[in-house]
Amino acid sequence: MSIASTLIAGIVGVPAGFMIAFESFPGKRIVITVLNTLLALPTVVIGLFVYTFISRRGIFGPFDLLYTQKAIIIGQVILIIPVVTVFTITAINRIDERYRKTAMTLGANRIQTAWVIFREARFGIIAAIIASFGRVISEVGISMMLGGNIKGFTRTMTTAMALEYDKGAFILSIALGIVLLGISFGMNMLFHFFQGRSRA
Amino acid sequence: MTVYELHQLTKIYDERTVLDIPDLKIKENRIYSLLGPNGTGKTTLLNILGFLEPPSGGKITYRSKPVRFVESELQALRRDVILVDQFPILFTATVWKNLEFGLKVRKISKGKRTRMIQEALDLVGMRDFALAQAHKLSGGETQRVALARALALSPRVFLCDEPTSSVDVENQAIILNILKRINQTKRMTIVFTTHDRTQARTISDQTLVLDRGRLLEAGYDNIFSAVPDLNSLGETKCVIHPNISLLMDSHKIKPAKDRFRILIDPKQIHPLRKAGKEFPVNVLQGIVRQVVDENSKIRVVVDSGVRLILLMTEKTYRHSQIFVGDSITYYIPPQAIQAID
Repeated sequence: MSIASTLIAGIVGVPAGFMIAFESFPGKRIVITVLNTLLALPTVVIGLFVYTFISRRGIFGPFDLLYTQKAIIIGQVILIIPVVTVFTITAINRIDERYRKTAMTLGANRIQTAWVIFREARFGIIAAIIASFGRVISEVGISMMLGGNIKGFTRTMTTAMALEYDKGAFILSIALGIVLLGISFGMNMLFHFFQGRSRA
Repeated sequence: MTVYELHQLTKIYDERTVLDIPDLKIKENRIYSLLGPNGTGKTTLLNILGFLEPPSGGKITYRSKPVRFVESELQALRRDVILVDQFPILFTATVWKNLEFGLKVRKISKGKRTRMIQEALDLVGMRDFALAQAHKLSGGETQRVALARALALSPRVFLCDEPTSSVDVENQAIILNILKRINQTKRMTIVFTTHDRTQARTISDQTLVLDRGRLLEAGYDNIFSAVPDLNSLGETKCVIHPNISLLMDSHKIKPAKDRFRILIDPKQIHPLRKAGKEFPVNVLQGIVRQVVDENSKIRVVVDSGVRLILLMTEKTYRHSQIFVGDSITYYIPPQAIQAID
């Protein structure tokens, strides 16, 4: 689920971030401010928001999405699209303006120039996707509210931990936490590796 | 043939005019050096000539056709003209891939690409670095690869922004030699900016001097800060040193200011055998500090309390018999002095 939502958010967020950073348009600053605000969106708020749309009485009620993996993915995509987009914008903005000028003077058209910028920012963009994945695997609000923590179907590591805690099985809960922490640490190592490459 | 014709060209940033060129022609197959202090508009002019930045006003014609700064029309022009930055950027790839970029966007076949890249790398002496990672090269090597990347594309016009400013003396000589060679062998028009007057005069056919966005006809060797001479009776005089008051041509002075700058044309200063009555004003004395042969012109540096440059033909110099250490007398005609702001 986390991989699926990261992929979908990457497909939407990376081009969106690239366009916002590369193009000049009215309201650009407002768009960036809104995206930055969305970075701090609590998972419970997203859970509630999506719930109102996909619950039986919601607009998308007839699709029977509530308490399915699809519902979790929808919520997680909403959670991390701003992360991917904002980090992509930052990665593109960090690329020296002279890359654009150099590509243009060497005869590149607009698309070829954009490709040059994208290539130069590639490590930063990969880091954006890894950071998003890290955000997704550690969230609990969306999975709990939209997935329902159904064993073998919508139970994730974080919702399992919450459940085991409620049951009083602290050791299992902590063990799951350590595994999750290990994955998160691995993701962070990857994130720093790519961030380092982008600065090199 | 004239490559560029600029007419009433201006560039304004935040209501500040950084470039104001009434007329300028740049001819084919020649080397032009663009001299001037920092922040004087040299890079802006190169960006405009490279079709990377539109002017705020005025007209540009390129090879007799008016230039419209519309993206759809500029790409074709950019494939004729290449600008190499003062601190060039190489893409994060090998040297070979860097050189291949411009050729690929021009859809040149692989076989032809290989030959052109090898030729360009040979020209700058960087063939051994073809597979090196570009971001690991030194400053001088980066500059040479950037030159090769541009030269591989055989542009009609080659613009270089301070190509020697960020490299050591050895690389400076190599880069200047490359510029000279490509001008002679490939018949490229070259415009480069520099701070080095000697360098400018030795390799270029024509030196253009920019000062605060304006072209100066008389170079910028003799620019002095001046104040009006309050003791002059009905004459237009200025003081550039407590002991030096110079009579100016009344046509060349601008509205009175407390402080202004003057430019003295070094070509119009005449050395005199001895002070006589024929020139009652603007006759100064000084010690010759330096004599330099610059592209068939002799540059004489005289210390008269201020450092003044005299520019003479070889014939005049031989006739005047001036040597380093001599005390000389010279005359500055009022029409050689111009208030520039």
